Amino acid sequence: MMTNLGNRVTQGQFSFLPDLTDAQITAQIKYALSKGWASSVEYTDDPHPRNTYWEMFGNPMFDLKDPAGILMEVNNCRKTFPNHYIRVIAFSSVRGVESVTMSYIVNRPKKEPGFGLVRQEGEGRMIRYTIHSYATDKPEGERY
Amino acid sequence: MAKSETMKEGKERYKSGVIPYKKMGYWEPDYKIKDTDVLAMFRMTPQAGVEPEECAAAVAGESSTATWTVVWTDRLTACEMYRAKAYRVDLVPNTGPGTKTEAQYFAYIAYDIDLFEGNSIANLTASIIGNVFGMKAVKALRLEDMRIPVAYLKTFQGPATGVIVERERMDKFGRPLLGATTKPKLGLSGRNYGRVVYEALKGGLDFMKDDENINSQSFMHWRDRFLYCMDAVNKASAATGEVKGHYMNVTAGTVEEMIARAEFAKELGSIIIMIDLVIGYSAIQSMAIWARKNDMILHLHRAGNSTYSRQKNHGMSFRVICKWMRMAGVDHIHAGTVVGKLEGDPLMIRGYYDTLLDTHTPVQLEKGIFFEQDWASLNKCMPVASGGIHAGQMHQLLTYLGDDVVLQFGGGTIGHPDGIQAGAVANRTALEVMIQARNEGRDIWNEGPKILQEAAKWCAPLKAGLETWKDVSFNYESTDSPDFVPTTTASA
Amino acid sequence: MSPNESVTMTDDTGVDLEAEFQASNIQELLDQLDRELIGLKPVKTRIRETAALLLVDRVRKKLGLASGAPSLHMCFTGNPGTGKTTVALRMAEILHRLGYIRRPDVVSVTRDDLVGQYIGHTAPKTKEVLKKAMGGVLFIDEAYYLYKPENERDYGAESIEILLQIMENNRDDLVVILAGYKNKMDQFFQSNPGMSSRIAHHIDFPDYSPDELCAIAKLMLDAQHYHFSAAGDKAFRDYIVRRMSMPHFANARSVRNALDRARLRQANRLFESMQTKLTRDDLMTLEASDILASRVFAQGEKDID
Repeated sequence: MMTNLGNRVTQGQFSFLPDLTDAQITAQIKYALSKGWASSVEYTDDPHPRNTYWEMFGNPMFDLKDPAGILMEVNNCRKTFPNHYIRVIAFSSVRGVESVTMSYIVNRPKKEPGFGLVRQEGEGRMIRYTIHSYATDKPEGERY
Repeated sequence: MAKSETMKEGKERYKSGVIPYKKMGYWEPDYKIKDTDVLAMFRMTPQAGVEPEECAAAVAGESSTATWTVVWTDRLTACEMYRAKAYRVDLVPNTGPGTKTEAQYFAYIAYDIDLFEGNSIANLTASIIGNVFGMKAVKALRLEDMRIPVAYLKTFQGPATGVIVERERMDKFGRPLLGATTKPKLGLSGRNYGRVVYEALKGGLDFMKDDENINSQSFMHWRDRFLYCMDAVNKASAATGEVKGHYMNVTAGTVEEMIARAEFAKELGSIIIMIDLVIGYSAIQSMAIWARKNDMILHLHRAGNSTYSRQKNHGMSFRVICKWMRMAGVDHIHAGTVVGKLEGDPLMIRGYYDTLLDTHTPVQLEKGIFFEQDWASLNKCMPVASGGIHAGQMHQLLTYLGDDVVLQFGGGTIGHPDGIQAGAVANRTALEVMIQARNEGRDIWNEGPKILQEAAKWCAPLKAGLETWKDVSFNYESTDSPDFVPTTTASA
Repeated sequence: MSPNESVTMTDDTGVDLEAEFQASNIQELLDQLDRELIGLKPVKTRIRETAALLLVDRVRKKLGLASGAPSLHMCFTGNPGTGKTTVALRMAEILHRLGYIRRPDVVSVTRDDLVGQYIGHTAPKTKEVLKKAMGGVLFIDEAYYLYKPENERDYGAESIEILLQIMENNRDDLVVILAGYKNKMDQFFQSNPGMSSRIAHHIDFPDYSPDELCAIAKLMLDAQHYHFSAAGDKAFRDYIVRRMSMPHFANARSVRNALDRARLRQANRLFESMQTKLTRDDLMTLEASDILASRVFAQGEKDID
C-alpha cells in the first residue's frame, strides 16, 4: 500500500479528488470537445512515473461532437480491464502545442502497492536511484 | 527610402562641430520599417528645453552610431544604414501640461539587423541600453518594448526545454504546476532542508525550489544540499508515482563552477537546475546551451530585476526582460502573481505571460505590448508565480494566470498548521477542484470561494489551510500600470 | 428544463400544452416541412402525431408521471426520392427542440460505412460511426442490406448486434432511423425481431402523384431561376407519366435528374442558335423541345435517368 495521503498513485489532473463519476467524466470530455481536442483512452498495469506509453484502447477519437461516444469507450475499457489503470487523454493539434492537453485517471486497481526506492551506493556519497514498481515483479497481465 | 526634410545633406552634414541629432539623420518620420529591423520603444522624459523629436533622435543616435560630435570617419561606412532611426514620437496619455506628471513621450526607434551580432543578448543590450540611459538630454528613460525580427530570433536557441516538452517529460498536463520555495531561505542544514523538500513533494507539489541566495554557504554547502534534496525527490516520486523535481540553484562565482554544479545535479538524476538573473546575460546563455545538451529544465530567478524594472519612468519594462530571457533560453522565469506580495498590475502581468507563451503576439496597448511579435517557433517559457499566494486564491490565480504557469506556494505550504504535507495536499486539492469546476463550465471567479469550501468538507488539510490564510491579501496600488485602458485598440 | 428533471405536482395542477408547444417552436419546423415537401399528407400527419406524443411525454415527465423513456428509434419506408432523408433532417430538429437529443445533427450512412471486409473490421467501423452520431440521429439508408441471409459468414450480423446494444443502452444518446423500400424492410424485420421490437415509430412514404411531381419540378426550377414555357409544362407532364411506368423510377430524384438534363439541352439549344440578342427570359425558359428530346419519348427505348 502507498503511504501518501490518498493511498494512491497521484498522476493526472484529478487524483486528489474522489473518483470521478460518469457524469463528471462526461463534463471533462465535453470541455475537451469544446476546445477541439481529440480524446483517447489508455490503460496500463505498469504505472511507473516514466512509463510514457500506456496501451491505447483504440486510436484517439478525432472529429467527434458528443461526449457519449468517448464515455462509451471508457466504459468498454473498464469492462475489459477492470483492474488496470485507465486514463483519458486529450490532444491538441494547434501549432505551438501539438501535444497532450489533458490527462486524468478514470480507473484504478483495487489495491495499489506502489513503488519501492532502490538506492545503489556509489563513490563518495553518490547514490543512483531506481524507482521500482512492486506490481511489475509479476508478468504483464497478472499484476493486479 | 524617403529622407526626412529635416536632415542635412552631404558636406553640410559632416562639417566638424556639434549639430543636433535630429539633423544628423537619427530622426526620420517617414522611415519605412523593414521586416528585419529591430524595433524599440522608449518612454522618454526630456530635459527642460529639449524638444521630443530631438530627444528621440539623441536616444536613437546614442544607442547606435552617434557620438557627441561629428566624425568624418562616418563617411567610410554605409552609415545611413547603421544609423538607428527614430520614426515616431507620441505624447504619453495623462502626462504633460494639465496633468500632475511632467511630459513623457513614447519614442519608436528602428535598428538595422546588421547592427547586432547573432545569438548574443549581451551585444543586443550593449546597443539598446548600453549608454543612452545616462545621457543628459533625457531626464529619465525607460525601454518599454521591443520587436525582435524573425531573422534575428532564429540565431537564438530559445528555451532549452520549453513548456510543451517540460510537461511531456513530467507527465503533467491540463493544470498549472505546483511548487514551493524551501523556507527559511537561509540557515537550514542539508539534512533539514531535504526534509522540507520531501514532505512537500510527497504531499502533492510537483517542484521544490532553492531560493535565489541559496548557493554554497557555511551552513549548507552545495553538494550536501544536492545529495539530500535528490534523496527527497526520489523518495517522494516513489511515494506518489509522479515525476518530481527540485530546482537546484547552481548560481556561483564563475560559469565554470556553475557548470560543475550542474553536472553533479545531472549525475544525481535531477530534472531541473536553477540560476539567478544576476549571473549575467552571457552566463545565462551558456547555461541554457548546457541545459539543452543535458536534458535539463532551466529555471531562472529574476533576482535584481526590480532595481531597474519597477519604476515607470526609468529603467526597462519587465516584459523586455521576458523577451530577452526567452531568447537567451531559460525554461522558467518568475513573472508575477497579480494577487501575491510582489508588484503587479493584472494586465501588465498578462502581458509578461503572453510574451513568454505566445507563438505570435499582436499589439495590445492595454497590456503594454506595443509591437507585434512573431516568435519564430522558439519554445515557450513557463512563467512562475511566486510570493505571498495561497490556496484560498486559487480561483483568482487560475483566472488571471491560466494553465501554463508554476504556482509557488512557499509559505502557503510550509506554514500550514498541520504540517508541510498537509499544506501541499491543501494546495493540490484546491488546484484540482478548481480545474475540474472550470472545465465543467462553472463561473470560478464568482463561485471560487464556494467551490473551495465544498472541497474543504471532505479535505481536512484544505479546510485548515483556508482557515489560516482566509484574510491574507496584498492590495497595494501597482507602480507599473498600463497607460492605455483596456478598450484602447492599436492604431498605427 | 431537460426531460430528466421532474417536479411533483398534484392531480389538478394545470398544464398549458399550448404554451409548451409554442415554446418548443415545433410549428415552425412543421411549416418548413410543408413548404419543402409537396404532398406527403400521411407522412406529415404521422410526424405531427409523433411530435405531439413526444411533447406530451415531456410534459408528463415534468409532472412526475413516469412512462419510461420513450423509444425514439424509427423506420422510414418508401421508394427512392419520396423525401425520407429530408424528413429525417427535420425530425432531428424536432427531437432536438423537444430536448430528446443534444444536437440536431444527422449522420447518414449505408452498409459500407458500418460493415467491414474481414474479421475484426466490423466492430471498430460500426463503433466509429456510432461515436460520431452520438448526441444526434443516425440515419441508415437501405438498412436491409445489413442482413444478408444468403451468406451465413456475413459480417452484417455483427454490426446489427452492436447497433441493437447501443439502441438499448444509449437511448438518451442516440436515435436511430432505418430507411428503405417497404417490402425489403418488412423482410428485414421478420428476420431480425430484435430490431423490430426496438423500433417504435414506422412512417410509410407513399409515391408521389403526377400532379405532385410536376409541382415539385416547379419548386426546384424556381429555386434555380428557371421556368417552363406553356408547351414545356405540358411536355414535362407527359414525360412524368411515361417515366413513372419505367424501371428505376425514383420520384423526386428522377424529377431532379430530368430537369438537370433539360437544362443541359436548353443551354445547347441557345448555343447552337447563336442568337445575338438573348433576353433574360430566354435564359430562364425551358421549352418543350428541351423535354421532348428525352429518350423517354423514343419508342421502345428504356431511359435510365
